[in-house]
Amino acid sequence: MTGRVFRGLRAAGRNWTMSLGLLLLSGVALMALTASLLFPLSPYDMIGPPLQWPGQFDGAVLGTDALGRDIAAGIFYGARISLLVGFASVACALVFGVLIGAFAGYYGGWVDTVLMRVTELFQTIPQFMLAIVVVAILGASIGNTIVALAVVSWPAIARLVRGEFMVIRQRAYVQGCIVLGMSDLRIMFVQILPNAISGVTVMSTILIATAILMESALSFLGFGDPNVITWGTMIGMGRGNLRDAWYIITIPGLALLLTALALNLVGDGLNDLLNPRLRKRKAG
Amino acid sequence: MTASPPRIPLSFVGKRLLYGMMTVFAIAVINFFLLQLAPGDAAEALAGEAGTASPEYIAELRAQFGLDQPLMLQLWAFVSRLFTLDLGYSFRYGADVADLIFARLPATLLLMTTSVVFAVIGGIVLGVTAARFANRLPDRLISFTGLLFYATPPFWIGLMMILVFSVWFGWVPTSGMENVLAFNTGWARAVDIGHHLILPALTQAFFYLAIYIRLVRAGMLDVLSLEFIRVARAKGISEARIGYRHALRSAVMPLVTVVGTNVGGFLGGAVLTETVFSWPGVGRLMFDAMFQRDLNLLLSILILSSVFVVVTNFVVDILYVLINPTVELK
Amino acid sequence: MSTRDVPLLEIEDLRIRVRNTPGAEILRGVSLRLWPGETLAVVGESGCGKSMTSLAVMGLLPEGLERTAGTVRLTGTPVPIGDNRAMRRIRAARIGMVFQEPMAALDPLFPVGRQVLEVLNEHQRLGRRAAWARVIELLGLVDLPDPERIARSYPHRLSGGQLQRVVIAMAIACSPEVLIADEPTTALDVTVQAQIIRLLKKLQRRTGVGIVLITHNLGLVAHSADRVMVMYAGRKVEEADTYSLFTAPRHPYTRGLLDATPNPERQATGGRLLNEIPGIVPSITDPMPGCRFAPRCVRRTEACRARVPDFTVVAGHGVACFDPVPRPGEVAA
Repeated sequence: MTGRVFRGLRAAGRNWTMSLGLLLLSGVALMALTASLLFPLSPYDMIGPPLQWPGQFDGAVLGTDALGRDIAAGIFYGARISLLVGFASVACALVFGVLIGAFAGYYGGWVDTVLMRVTELFQTIPQFMLAIVVVAILGASIGNTIVALAVVSWPAIARLVRGEFMVIRQRAYVQGCIVLGMSDLRIMFVQILPNAISGVTVMSTILIATAILMESALSFLGFGDPNVITWGTMIGMGRGNLRDAWYIITIPGLALLLTALALNLVGDGLNDLLNPRLRKRKAG
Repeated sequence: MTASPPRIPLSFVGKRLLYGMMTVFAIAVINFFLLQLAPGDAAEALAGEAGTASPEYIAELRAQFGLDQPLMLQLWAFVSRLFTLDLGYSFRYGADVADLIFARLPATLLLMTTSVVFAVIGGIVLGVTAARFANRLPDRLISFTGLLFYATPPFWIGLMMILVFSVWFGWVPTSGMENVLAFNTGWARAVDIGHHLILPALTQAFFYLAIYIRLVRAGMLDVLSLEFIRVARAKGISEARIGYRHALRSAVMPLVTVVGTNVGGFLGGAVLTETVFSWPGVGRLMFDAMFQRDLNLLLSILILSSVFVVVTNFVVDILYVLINPTVELK
Repeated sequence: MSTRDVPLLEIEDLRIRVRNTPGAEILRGVSLRLWPGETLAVVGESGCGKSMTSLAVMGLLPEGLERTAGTVRLTGTPVPIGDNRAMRRIRAARIGMVFQEPMAALDPLFPVGRQVLEVLNEHQRLGRRAAWARVIELLGLVDLPDPERIARSYPHRLSGGQLQRVVIAMAIACSPEVLIADEPTTALDVTVQAQIIRLLKKLQRRTGVGIVLITHNLGLVAHSADRVMVMYAGRKVEEADTYSLFTAPRHPYTRGLLDATPNPERQATGGRLLNEIPGIVPSITDPMPGCRFAPRCVRRTEACRARVPDFTVVAGHGVACFDPVPRPGEVAA
C-alpha cells in the first residue's frame, strides 16, 4: 500500500500539471475550511462602503460589492458551496451510476437493455435544462441543487461502469469465481468493481468540475439557494456593475476557472497514472 | 458478387422513427412524474404560483388534466395532448405555448448554427495545427488554451467579452439581437444582426471548441500514423492534399457524432448565453419561464428540446453513413 | 546498348541512423544496383534494414530517422531524396511502390478507383474521361475481374488479394521504371501469394520494369528473382545470381538462412526439417567493431570481431566475410 502511494507521489512529481492541479485544489479546500475562521461575519454582512476596488479599502482585500459586502469573504464561503455541491452530487451520482452500470454490465441481456435504455433517456434531455427543471420543480436549495446535478451526472458513470464490467466479466479470474459458486453480488462488488475503479475515478474528477460549473450557472441565473453565497451568485449580482466595477465578477469567475481547471488537471494526471494504455497512446 | 444493398435501408428509418417516438413518450412520462413532485397539485404548478393565474384558469386546468381521476388516466391525458402538439396556454404571456416557442426558434437556430460553425472551423484548424506540432510548443499552447476554455464557466466568458469588446473597445453591442430603433431593412438589418451575433456565438463556441480541438488532434495523430497515409505519400501527393483530403476526413469522423450531440443539447447552454446577451431565443424564454415559475412553458420547452435531440441523433446517424462508407446500417 | 551499361537504380553507401541517438545506426553503408528488366530480391530477417532502404529511396524515411550518407541514382541521375517537393515528381511517376499490408494501404473512405485516379491526376495530364478509362484499363491489367465495378468499390468490400492488385495498379499507373515491392505477399493467403508474384512477373515482361523485391521469404525468391542480395543488421553480406546463391551460398548467414527454410529433402536424407540460427540479431545501438553476425557465426575468427570484412566480388558473386563457405570443389583458404 505504501509502495503504491509512494509510486503515485513520484509520478505526480513527474507530472507537473497534476501537481499544479492538486496544489490549486488544496488551496480551494483550505479556503473552504478556514472561511468562518478568517471571516467570522456572514458574507452577506456589510463591512464597508460599497464598490471599493481591491486594495482600496483596508477591511476588504478583494474589495466590496455594490452593497458593501466583502468579496474575499464571498470567495472563501463560496469555495465551501462549490466543493460541497460538486463532491456531494457526484458522490450521489456514483452510488446510483455504479449500481446501474454494474447490474447492466454484469447480467447483460434484457437487464442491460432495459437499464441502458433508461440511461439513454436521461442523456437525451440536455443536461443543464434537466438540472434547471429539477430545481424549478423541487425549489431552490443546496440539497435540491445536489439532487439535480446528481440526476444529470449519473448516466455517464453508468455507461462507463457498464462497459468496464462487460469486459472484466469475461476475464478468467471472474469466470473462476463464478465456477466456484461465489455469489453474484460478491463477484460484482468485491472482484470486479476494484478493477473498474480507475476509469471511474478519472471520470468522477471531471464530473465534479462539470458539476461545480453547472452549480455556478444555476446560481448565476438566480436559481441557487438564496441563503448561501456562491461564486455564481456573486457573478450574477455583480452583472449590474460590469462597467464601473468589473472586479466584482472577475474575481469569483477566476476562482471558478481555477477550481475547474485544477480538477481537470488532476483528472488528466490520474488518467495518465492509472491508465498505462492511454498514456502510451497520448505520447505517440 | 451481389449488388450492394441501399446505404440507408427503409427498415432502419422505420425502426429509428419508432424508437424516437418511444423516447419522446418516455420523456413525457418522466416529466409527468416530475410535475407530481412539485409542491401543490399539478394544476397549480402548471399555472404558476397561486395568485397570478385566475381561479377559473386553475379550475379549467384541473378539469383538463382530470386531476380528480386516477393517476394513469391523468398520465394518458397529459401524453396524448403532447402528441397532438397541444402544449397549452401561457397566462404569463397570454399566448399559446407552441406559438411562443416557435416565434423564438429562429433566433436560437441562428445562434446555434453560427456558434457551431465557429467551433467546428476553429476546432479543425487548431486541432490540425496541434497535431502537426504534436508535443511541441504550438501544440502545448493550443491544448492548454482548450483546457482553459473547457474549465471556464461560459456565462463568465460572455460577461468578460462584453466587458472587453463592448465596454472597453466599443466594437460590438452589449446585448440584444438587433437595433430595433434603427428600423433597418434588408442588408443593413442582416449586418446589424450579424454585429449583435458575434459575441454570443463566440461565447457558445468557446465551450465546444475545447472539445473539438482535443478530438481533432487525437484523430489526426491516430490517422497520420496509419499505413494509407504513407502509401499516399508514395503516390507523390502533396502534404496539404494528404492532410486535408485523406487524414482530416478520417479524423473528423468522431467529430460528427459529438457535434450532433452538441447541436441536440444546444438549448442547455443557450439558456445561459441568451440570458447573458438578452438574445431573444428559446433559451431566454426558458429562463423567463423558470423565473416566473411557468412550469407548463418550461416543460414544453424541455420536451421539445428532447424531440430536437432525437431528431439530431437520427440525422447524425444518416450523415455518418453518408460520409463513412465502412459503416453499414441495420 | 548504352542503357545496359547504366543501372536503372543505383544506391551507394547509404547510411541511416536514429536522430539524436549516437551509435543507433540502421543502415551501415548499403549499396545496390538494379539493371533494366531485372528482379533483384533483397532478403533478410525483419529489422535488418531492408524496408528502410526502400523508404529511403522514396524519400519517405519515418520521422526520427536521418540519412547521414549515401546517394541514389536513377538511370544515372542523382535522386533528390532529401527534397520532399522534388521527390513528389519521382514517387509513383518513376519509382512505384507496393506495400506489405494491402488492407491498410488504401484510404477506407474513398472508392479504390478514385485512389488509382489520384496517382494519374498527380503525375499525368489526362482528360477526366481518359483518366478514368486508364483506371479501368489498369485494374484490368492487374487481372481484376469486372474492373468497372471494382473501381467503384470501397476497400472494405474487397479481399486482401484484390486490394493488393489495386495497390499494384496504383504503383504501375504512371509506368515507372522501377517498382519496389516491400513484402508484397506477407499479409496474404498462401494461394494468393503465388498469384501476386506471377502478376508482378507478368507486368515486368510486358513493360520491362525493374523490380526490387524485398522479402524474408526465400522460397518466394527462388522462383521470381534474377539476383539476390542478403542483408544482415544494416549491411549487405552477400549478393549473387539466384542460382549461385541457392546452390553455393558463401556467407555463413546466408547458409544459415537457407538451412532455416523448411526442407523436406534434407529431412528425407536424415537431416532436420529446419535448422535455426542460434542467437539473436544485435541491437542497432550495439557498438560492435567487427562483423555484426560474428556472435552467432559458426565460422567466426579473431578477425571477425576486430574489423568489418570488405565486400568482395569474385566472378559476379559478392560476399562480406573473412572466412566464407568454400565453393563446391574449392579448398578453404
